[in-house]
Amino acid sequence: MTESNRLPAKVREVGRARKLTLALIAVAVCVGPLAAWAQTQIYDSKTHTWVDYDKKKARQYYARNNQPPEAFRRQPVPFRTAEPPGTIIIDGNQHFLYLVQPGGQAIRYGIGVGREGFGWAGIVRVGRTAEWPTWTPPAEMVARDPNAAKWKDGMPGGPENPLGARALYLYEGDQDTIYRIHGTAEPWTIGLDVSSGCIRMNNDDIVDLESRIKIGAKVIVLMQGAALYKGV
Amino acid sequence: MAKRVAYSGLFSSAFAATLAMSSAAFSADLVIAMPNWPSGQATANILKVGIAKEFGLNADVQELGTLLAFNGLEKGTVDIHPEVWQPNLEDVIKRFVTEKGVVVLAKHGVPAWQGICTTPAAAEKGLKTIADLSDPEKTKILDTDGDGKGEMWLGAPTWSSTGIERVRANTYGYAKNLTLVESEEEVAMAGLDIAIATNQPLVFACYAPHFIFDLHKIVRLAEPAHDASKWKLVGPNDPLWITKSSASTAWDAANFRIGYAAAFEKKHPDIAAFLEKVDLSPEEATAMSYALEVERIPPLEYATKWVADNAKRVDGWASK
Repeated sequence: MTESNRLPAKVREVGRARKLTLALIAVAVCVGPLAAWAQTQIYDSKTHTWVDYDKKKARQYYARNNQPPEAFRRQPVPFRTAEPPGTIIIDGNQHFLYLVQPGGQAIRYGIGVGREGFGWAGIVRVGRTAEWPTWTPPAEMVARDPNAAKWKDGMPGGPENPLGARALYLYEGDQDTIYRIHGTAEPWTIGLDVSSGCIRMNNDDIVDLESRIKIGAKVIVLMQGAALYKGV
Repeated sequence: MAKRVAYSGLFSSAFAATLAMSSAAFSADLVIAMPNWPSGQATANILKVGIAKEFGLNADVQELGTLLAFNGLEKGTVDIHPEVWQPNLEDVIKRFVTEKGVVVLAKHGVPAWQGICTTPAAAEKGLKTIADLSDPEKTKILDTDGDGKGEMWLGAPTWSSTGIERVRANTYGYAKNLTLVESEEEVAMAGLDIAIATNQPLVFACYAPHFIFDLHKIVRLAEPAHDASKWKLVGPNDPLWITKSSASTAWDAANFRIGYAAAFEKKHPDIAAFLEKVDLSPEEATAMSYALEVERIPPLEYATKWVADNAKRVDGWASK
């Protein structure tokens, strides 16, 4: 039996500690240093138990299968909503992003989210998109991280760039919220809470999503928990 | 849904609305105020189409906040309001209907309901009555942020009902073991969509008629029947009104009615009699809400078909 058979679709959350002492802001929060926390579980059909889906497990799984577990792969799902087709709904708690489709359907993508989610929930719009965007680490990251320091003037887009193949820039009105939905250079992190702030998807998925949405698309961010429902 | 408050944005749009009414008044025989929630939009247009069919008059439908509409009803710039909620608008009704006598409320009221709803998953896991919400062992399944406490949506920050739901949470006691959440309704409804799609437990404040009852299978939480003696609400002008208030039973039954200007009744008693006979049901209001919000049918298009499909009934409203 392969690993992919052993770790099928069901995913759930377990309790998590979210007492962050590090307040991260600005674009760089999207792609801060990776430190996945064990908080997602997936169902092992061989042992009939829920097992932690943490950074180590995720790396192993991805190395064997070259893709995330089935639940986090792009797939059409039944989805009844009053939101019009083209709306994006982000469920950081379960690590899913839904793109509403006609006929009671949605395309569901797996996502990686920040350890503390966006820190808010609310309604924003896709203000613009970019292909293979440049990533510029913020000053505080440059100061503490030599690897980031060498890109202080901007890291060109490419496979190693943490923003990945595409970025969707989220706006509130005409203002950039500094939050993005973007690709990743570390596709095994899909399904995990890693870095902080933004929403990451694997590069095939963000390219697919970007090709399907229109500028101005409505984005509803749910995220985890009550503290995150305060609005943007 | 603005009907829960119906005050926001009333004044900012007053100038534009006045301009719109001035220009429309040249061609329209009467003006129907249209609220910004779907059943009210549909009903406003059903009245427009029905009045054109039965009386040959051209009604102009103007989107107006409730207080602006009531001022218009008093001043003669608005003739009809399709959906006046009670008890939510009790103070406005007291002023314009009871004290000034410038607005008449049709006798037929569409019954409405307010309370707490759950997804089937929550009901299956033991959350069936309001008392269950005060049991931390039961409500921990509603936890989405890992702090061990469940979350519950109370309503939008601007709704008058949201503060009252907070009072109820304090009085019943579940404010202690649930984190009470306020957010825009669209965000909460998207959360409900996901909870249904992934079979997750969710508890939230809700009201009917509302399209969610057609969109999803949701469950109303059982509560003790309304007892006015157990509702002690301090006026919201007191900044401490939530802590000073208490409410330990279900909401009182609500309803909404058509309102029209007393002056309009004198000018068009036949149409006023027609308005008195309009007998929409809660199911129809839910269907209107679903058609406009979920199926995205434009209100006038929906109303035109509705009147055609219900031609005999509409004729009956106009019969003497």
